[in-house]
Amino acid sequence: MKLSVVKGLQSEIFVPITPPAVWTAMSKPVKECRVAFLTAGGVHLKSQKPFALAGDFSFREIPSDTHADELMVTHGGYDNGDVNKDINAMMPIDRLRELAAEGVIGEVSPRLIGFMGGGGNVKKFEDETGPDIAKVLKEDKVDIALLTAG
Amino acid sequence: MIVQRAIEAAGIPTIIIAALPPVAKQQGSPRVSAPLVPMGANVGEPHNVAMQTGVLKDTLKALETIDSFGKIVPLPYEYKAKV
Repeated sequence: MKLSVVKGLQSEIFVPITPPAVWTAMSKPVKECRVAFLTAGGVHLKSQKPFALAGDFSFREIPSDTHADELMVTHGGYDNGDVNKDINAMMPIDRLRELAAEGVIGEVSPRLIGFMGGGGNVKKFEDETGPDIAKVLKEDKVDIALLTAG
Repeated sequence: MIVQRAIEAAGIPTIIIAALPPVAKQQGSPRVSAPLVPMGANVGEPHNVAMQTGVLKDTLKALETIDSFGKIVPLPYEYKAKV
């Protein structure tokens, strides 16, 4: 029996392809790690320039000793209701300091990162924003990174 | 997910707390933890310190236990936003 009736026939439905695997193994226990936190939820300092809602591939550095009240959200891609009530719902800056004090993690890295995810210029994020943020984390000698997005 | 992949590629292990875990997996996230939350409250209910702490502790545990690319660990926390 012939399984292909028409050679080279393709579905017209777009199927997204998962990019190749990328993996770094853990090298030490979490309780000894310097931990960075990043959010694609558009969190930044009130004193910093807000993100452009129409698409913005820049990122903001947030000192990890910042008071939660000094942070805000600029992001048009999701309901900001919860995060406006409590910034910790997306950027858990208070919880991280508690976990460090409790000894669950080694320490919080000096710079946390906010950016506006949810599309935008994918190529810019791949070629510039992603590597630039990774560079900040490397400079800060970060051991592990947690993110909120999607 | 693009940013997460860039950090992982730079030699730092990463995990994402995702409200939409299948999307994270499809986009090539190396590790995913998935509490039952809406977008915008990924770490849990606003002002619910116990839930937020639990989500973070379990996410850190998942970071230590996930042994291969693209795994999703469901977390036993649920928050529904009142819309």
